[in-house]
Amino acid sequence: MTATTWNTRRGTFAQTASMAARSLASIRNNPATLIEFFMIPLMILLSITFFMGGQMMGSWQDFLQYAGPTIIVMGLFFAIPTTGLGLHADLKSGVFDRLTAMPVSRFALLGGRVAADMVKHAWALLVVGGVAFAIGYRPEAGAADVIAAAAIVLAFLFCASWTMVLVGLTAKTEDQIQTWMIALLMPLSYISTAFIEIDTLPDALQWVARVNPVTAVAESVRGVLAGDVSGGYLLSLAAWCAGTLAVFVPLSLRAYRRKLMN
Amino acid sequence: MRHAIEVRGLVKAFGDVRALDGVDLTAPAGSVLGVLGPNGAGKTTAVRILSTLTHPDAGTARVLGLDVVAKADEVRDRIGLTGQYAGLDENLTGEQNLVLIARLLGASRPQAKARAAELLERFDLVHAASRPAGKYSGGMRRRLDLAASVVRRPEVLFLDEPTTGLDPKSRGGLWDVVRDLVAEGTTVLLTTQYLEEADQLADSIAVIDAGRVIASGAPAELKRMVGGLVLRMRPVRPEALPQLVVLADGTIGAAAKIEEGEAVVPVAHAGEATAVMSRVTQAGVDLASFGLDEPTLDEVFLTLTGHRAESNDEKEEVAA
Repeated sequence: MTATTWNTRRGTFAQTASMAARSLASIRNNPATLIEFFMIPLMILLSITFFMGGQMMGSWQDFLQYAGPTIIVMGLFFAIPTTGLGLHADLKSGVFDRLTAMPVSRFALLGGRVAADMVKHAWALLVVGGVAFAIGYRPEAGAADVIAAAAIVLAFLFCASWTMVLVGLTAKTEDQIQTWMIALLMPLSYISTAFIEIDTLPDALQWVARVNPVTAVAESVRGVLAGDVSGGYLLSLAAWCAGTLAVFVPLSLRAYRRKLMN
Repeated sequence: MRHAIEVRGLVKAFGDVRALDGVDLTAPAGSVLGVLGPNGAGKTTAVRILSTLTHPDAGTARVLGLDVVAKADEVRDRIGLTGQYAGLDENLTGEQNLVLIARLLGASRPQAKARAAELLERFDLVHAASRPAGKYSGGMRRRLDLAASVVRRPEVLFLDEPTTGLDPKSRGGLWDVVRDLVAEGTTVLLTTQYLEEADQLADSIAVIDAGRVIASGAPAELKRMVGGLVLRMRPVRPEALPQLVVLADGTIGAAAKIEEGEAVVPVAHAGEATAVMSRVTQAGVDLASFGLDEPTLDEVFLTLTGHRAESNDEKEEVAA
């Protein structure tokens, strides 16, 4: 029978892709979920721009031009707990028991979820970016720079999502994941230059804002879109990203093994 | 001959609860081992250890000669698992579920599709192939779950309470599928709470209670041990109960008892029951009802342990 002649070891990458396809297949079965992925970042963009923009910069149009891209980044950042929630739900169902008892790379089981969520983030970025353009945002840089900025945002989200993998694996309840989201993402977002200028902050917080990875991504994106690449912030972002992966990928794999063995 | 499953002195504790307290099991290749016990006996824990999902605290477990801890990857390559809770993605259709498993196991896309189609046909799920698994009935879900665990034809298949919660018809259908797999040479370890299920499918049965094997042997041996069938008679007038006991004892020399308004008579075979019944009829005792029962798991336990099978859901929760 054909079943026994398959090459038993497709690479980790191929297995990750299969797992990602699995997480995304539910979209095909239920296309309405496509709307859910961009609702949070879209509402954050629109509400901050229209309700706060005028007060912060005189007109919401000026505010959109200054802070639009970084508010999109912040909105997408707020969506990363979906990775933790999705993984948590997977682990509670019997699916992961079956998959874990199969000769499948442990990395693929976790990485597949992250990869699928990256597709969702890319989709949300496209939609919300399109809306920003539609209401008047105009990048100063060219198309290639816009694509580069999008790539920077997605790389940032990819690295940040691995923190949520660990949270999803170790949290006892979904409420805990939500709590972590507020406790971690809110201060990171607000004590950054996502939509305020650094010298408006108290001195102590200025230091936090300067080393904050959200500042690094915000300034990198802002710089690239203005055609004025700031090497310092890009470097800082790369360091944050590499550090996060170096810590959270092994910790997540370890947490996964531990969760199983008990 | 090498055993497909060999378990020696397996111990696993969850906090203060010793889910497994020194369990030994063996199953020759190609056989069906039934692990029979109530909720919380440790069945699920044993299956999880054998399928590499949990590490034991002590003892050894080998599958196809491979240690499940040291050689976990190789074990995973050769087993299939149908857990107590369906291992399906409820958002995916039946076909997508099977294709995913096949792809993860190394099949190309066309190979995966072909294998999924083959299994859907075999497990009578073609009509539901493009429906999300979450919308399946209990019986269909179990069949899809079983199909998913044999995508690459495992040498050893673990089935954790495969028919719990199914109606008798679905249960019978699932038994047929398991028999087919065994006929093709698969070794099966199945846990169950139903003596009948173990009797129908297993070549040998291990009865476990509170993490220990309290009896093991072929189904026939086990049934002999627990006394075969039980004749129950409920007289119209409760005062006639002692008379029924005397009649039964006088006819076949059985140790009849009175339980909850019924005379309960252990009999070796249906013929003895007929003999008792005709004696009762001759004596003119009117019966409100009567019946001939297979011994239940409760009676097996009562005989083997002296206590009833206590269902302890809380403990199983910890073990799961």
